[in-house]
Amino acid sequence: MATPVIMPRQGQTVESCIITKWHKKKGDRVKVGDLLFSYETDKAAFDEEAKAEGTLLEIFFDEGDDVPVLATVCVIGQEGEDISEFMPKDASAAEDVMVEEQQSIAEGQGEMEIQSSAVVQEGNRIKISPRARNLAERVGVDYRQATPTGPNGRIIERDIRQLLERGQLVTPAAREQYMGTEGMPIGGTGIGGRVTTADLQSAKGEAHYEMPQPSVQGIKAKEADYEEIKLSNIRKVIAKTMHQSLANTAQLTIHTSFDATEILAFRKKVKEYGERLGLANITLNDIILYAVSRTLLNHKALNAHFLDDKMLLFNHVHLGVAVDTERGLMVPTIYNADTKSLDEISREAKELVEACRKGSINPDYLKGGTFTVTNLGSLGVEAFTPILNPPQTGILGVNAIVQRVKEVDGKIVTYPSIGLSLTFDHRAVDGAPAARFLQELKANLENFSIFLAK
Amino acid sequence: MSKQLFVNPDEVRKSGWIKFHDIPVNQYNKTIEEEKANYTVEDFVRIYRDMVIIREFETMLQLVKTRGEYNGVAYDYPGPAHLSIGQEAAAVGQAFHLDKDDFIFGSHRSHGEILAKGLSAIEKMSDDELMDIMKKLWDGRTLKVVEESKKDYTSVKELAMDFLLYGALAEIFGRETGFNKGLGGSMHAFFTPFGIYPNNAIVGGSAGIAMGAALFKKVNRKKGIVIANIGDGSMGCGPVWEAMNMAAMDQFKYLWEEGYRGGLPIIFNFFNNHYGMGGQTCGETMAYQMLARVGAGINPEQMHAERVDGYNPLAVIDAIKRKKQLLLENKGPVLLDVVTYRFCGHSPSDASTYRTNEEVDAWRQHDSIVAYRKQIIDAGITSQEQLDAILDDVKQRIDRIYRLAIDEEKSPRMNLVANPDAIASLMFSNQRIEKMEDRECEVLIPKEENPRLQQIKRKVRVGIQDGKPVPKSRVYQLRDALFEAILDKFYVDPTLIAYGEDNRDWGGAFAVYRGLTEALPYHRLFNAPISEAAIVASAVGYAMCGGRVIAELMYADFMGRAGDEIFNQLSKWQAMSAGLLKMPVVLRISVGSKYGAQHSQDWTSLVAHIPGLKVVFPATPYDAKGLMNSALMGTDPVVFFESQRIYDVGEMFHPEGVPEGYYEVPIGEPDIKKEGRDITIMTAGATLYRALEAAKILETKYGMSAEVIDARSIVPFNYEKVIESVKKTGKIVITGDACERASYLKDFAHNITELAFDYLDAPPVVVGARNWITPAHELERFFFPQPDWIIDAIHEKIVPLKGHVPSNNFTANEQLRRARLGV
Repeated sequence: MATPVIMPRQGQTVESCIITKWHKKKGDRVKVGDLLFSYETDKAAFDEEAKAEGTLLEIFFDEGDDVPVLATVCVIGQEGEDISEFMPKDASAAEDVMVEEQQSIAEGQGEMEIQSSAVVQEGNRIKISPRARNLAERVGVDYRQATPTGPNGRIIERDIRQLLERGQLVTPAAREQYMGTEGMPIGGTGIGGRVTTADLQSAKGEAHYEMPQPSVQGIKAKEADYEEIKLSNIRKVIAKTMHQSLANTAQLTIHTSFDATEILAFRKKVKEYGERLGLANITLNDIILYAVSRTLLNHKALNAHFLDDKMLLFNHVHLGVAVDTERGLMVPTIYNADTKSLDEISREAKELVEACRKGSINPDYLKGGTFTVTNLGSLGVEAFTPILNPPQTGILGVNAIVQRVKEVDGKIVTYPSIGLSLTFDHRAVDGAPAARFLQELKANLENFSIFLAK
Repeated sequence: MSKQLFVNPDEVRKSGWIKFHDIPVNQYNKTIEEEKANYTVEDFVRIYRDMVIIREFETMLQLVKTRGEYNGVAYDYPGPAHLSIGQEAAAVGQAFHLDKDDFIFGSHRSHGEILAKGLSAIEKMSDDELMDIMKKLWDGRTLKVVEESKKDYTSVKELAMDFLLYGALAEIFGRETGFNKGLGGSMHAFFTPFGIYPNNAIVGGSAGIAMGAALFKKVNRKKGIVIANIGDGSMGCGPVWEAMNMAAMDQFKYLWEEGYRGGLPIIFNFFNNHYGMGGQTCGETMAYQMLARVGAGINPEQMHAERVDGYNPLAVIDAIKRKKQLLLENKGPVLLDVVTYRFCGHSPSDASTYRTNEEVDAWRQHDSIVAYRKQIIDAGITSQEQLDAILDDVKQRIDRIYRLAIDEEKSPRMNLVANPDAIASLMFSNQRIEKMEDRECEVLIPKEENPRLQQIKRKVRVGIQDGKPVPKSRVYQLRDALFEAILDKFYVDPTLIAYGEDNRDWGGAFAVYRGLTEALPYHRLFNAPISEAAIVASAVGYAMCGGRVIAELMYADFMGRAGDEIFNQLSKWQAMSAGLLKMPVVLRISVGSKYGAQHSQDWTSLVAHIPGLKVVFPATPYDAKGLMNSALMGTDPVVFFESQRIYDVGEMFHPEGVPEGYYEVPIGEPDIKKEGRDITIMTAGATLYRALEAAKILETKYGMSAEVIDARSIVPFNYEKVIESVKKTGKIVITGDACERASYLKDFAHNITELAFDYLDAPPVVVGARNWITPAHELERFFFPQPDWIIDAIHEKIVPLKGHVPSNNFTANEQLRRARLGV
């Protein structure tokens, strides 16, 4: 009996994943645990291992294909086995899902059926019927997000209606500029995911980039004197998010530093006795996370989401932890950090970081943060300006330990100091309240043993 | 076909000889002294005057064309000038005994004939009559230009002569003050109040039309005779022979009722100038040696054929006088071979490479004007001085008319800037005239006693009863609907006649006319010869004289046989007359089925392409009756297509049934046969029923609701309903039985694309017949659009249907391949 391998559903909101690499090819022998293929969502990357032994009988999708979740990707079995029942029908699994949705919508008014044809996009051109385009403009739907089901990959009316059902909208101002941005994939950063004029601007900027050429004759660069790399999905998302952050918020950074003598001493003790007490290997960063999780609730404007016309002030702290991975920056979330012990925070942070680096993080952990902590201290950075992760209103950068001097009883003494860089959205918070948060955080860290006792 | 005629084998197998009698050749031999008894001095002089007028008129045109000036006044005239310099005696001789009730039809070389006929008519008309006619033309505008050009007109006849010359020349020069507002021009100028009917630029084109005019005179008992003035070259044209034969049909002698007996009152008058353009008829392109011989090939009377000396006006007058008498005795038709010669070329660009100077010079020695002048002076009828005075007067007159006709202010052209619709508004007359004349209709039985009508009374006037189709034997069919409308009109319009192949006795090949034979005398319903050209041309002539006709072509495929008559004549004369002529002709054309390549093609697209024709193609009994009523109420030519596939359908769309009384379906209005939401299917003709099948499949199998629109008319066409539908559905398939390439289906698609582009979810898709020959009936489903073609086309080109597996190839690649191969 042949075994189908389906594309796992990585989180409730994930509809499809891109296969980034095949590690086996059709006809290869596979053992349980062998790496079959790697894939990624727009937020994370994963590996799929074989759960059955046999021969890789058929592969239905190639590298680069966008595969609907739960669709059969390949089949493992004994040579000569009939695999026809696993062949994707002329409509793929994802489209079947859409049909179901569509049918439930259309119930009572006659069945509407949808079938996607291969997406044939010529260069940057999107094929769309005049009716579909007009409808998209009228109701404010980003037709670039539509799945074409018309002949030859043409987006037709029903595809826009499909989007409309999902609520993918565009702001009126952006709609007016829309026509000039043919073919550029644009993600919405506005309210409810609406595409805004800023999105359009950034999309234009990306699309019109040209390799700068030295203008002086004789020193013209040799052709192709650079390496062109395709951006990974994650890189694209990071690029977009970062730029949107800068474009759409009023962020600024303030700096301070605190005397780390006490937390270094605390850490030393944990190292000495922790194992015996069954404590995790608590790092300086964990300590800062803990302090932040306790301090933030006194400064709710920084534990918040800013949504243009309103703010959400959270009652618990969902702490984003920036993680550097091979694939790029990822920010998993420690939910309800304010209710967790230092030990719990430390363990959870380690697990999340590990999962990110391995690429096995559940995408549901990659969202929902209310404040973020990012640490470049281990790389010797003394001060920086972290970029906000909207709609969060604050992000704290942690810097390296440096020895500083101070006067104690008329003598100059040195002490270990750690810098803190707080970026906040001035739309949400003014300078003084932000400074007060830093002030309190600094006090808590400098008097950590007492703070811990609270 | 008639039961009265017995095809007796004893007779037809008997041996014997066909005997001919001698055909007179230039037998006129009267002396001028003898003729003095027949003509007054004024007559003799007027004959000279009229010849000189024509000569000077055409010399003026010749100079304008070749030197760009006349009497030192420059003018650039780029249009045609087929002159008849040298042929004046033949024209003047012919006109001498004709009055306004005698109609002449001409050719491209007929300036001389219209002037001669007009001058003759003026001579015979009263002043009041003339003033009335002149005042009526364009509300007196043309008359005003003439009146204001000269202060001292001594008589109405003098004024009328200038009116004639000016009306003709302004027409030739394309002026709005011309007889036909400049829309006819040199080769088409005419003026019916003087009995001058259209000249025709198609060689021989007037033969069939004039024959139809003669038919009108016979059927409606009108005064006068008809003359078709055509050239010797036209004897090579099939339609001319068709017209001569139809004018002489035996049924006039043997079958038509008392009072209508005898051949048609028409003279086929061949102005035999010995050249068909450059081709020398006698000795080169024709076989007759002498044209008059042909009369012997048509009927036992040999068409009373004669060769007449067209260089002697008195000989021509003599001949016309005798032949007119024959025609009035119902002994027509007549053939005249009037020998003549043109000194000028075929046209000003003619270098006369086909003839020698010696030949032209020899004919100049015989110049009829010079000879006649000498003759009447020598006979003491008139003097040198009197004739010189006439000549001077003519030259001054032509000079004045010339200056007047080229005056941009007094004789402007149509202003298509100020009035962009000036020509468009003349393409159709769009009138509603219930009867063309008001008198009793000649019928054989009261309408109610008609056996077919009684049979129809027993039929069920709806196609579906209690949810079940009514059996063919009991259902009121599309052919019944046509019959009802047509029978009705025969009891309303006394001028209405119907003919075509197998119309009488047989009842039409498809039984539409069954029951008409019992109702109508021969002169209102008769069998035409297998002469499609003559059938259509005669309908054109009949209608332009004031009658209403239903002509029939048995199969659309036979339209080729009547190509010129449909495309150039039926379609154009209303506009070319600037609205003076009406064309109430319904041309019924059956679209074949089951009969292969030459009997089953849908040629609707051919007529849809020709400006000036209305084209309808009903598919239901209700629409067939309503559209036929509209067509028979109007004054425009309507090409009425009927599909042989659906003559027997019952009415499926009007649950209350087809009304027994009179009602109209407006020409040009499509009809929604089935409402729907998701896609529009528009059809024309019998394909409606296949589209409905497709709609059913779309609904039941693919959950798609289709709106089905029946075009009903092709020209004119109101797009409003269709655009509204497309706005709703965003998608449209246009389907019909016409071969797809260059069809009206494509035209519909193109217009819809332009008119509803922003609403379209896919390009309008045409599903027509393949660009092949129509194959055998058993293979027709591969040729004519079928329900599954429509579904496949939707799936491939408009909206993919889930789970649908197409069986026909509607892909872009296939479209490209077929286009590349031309199939």
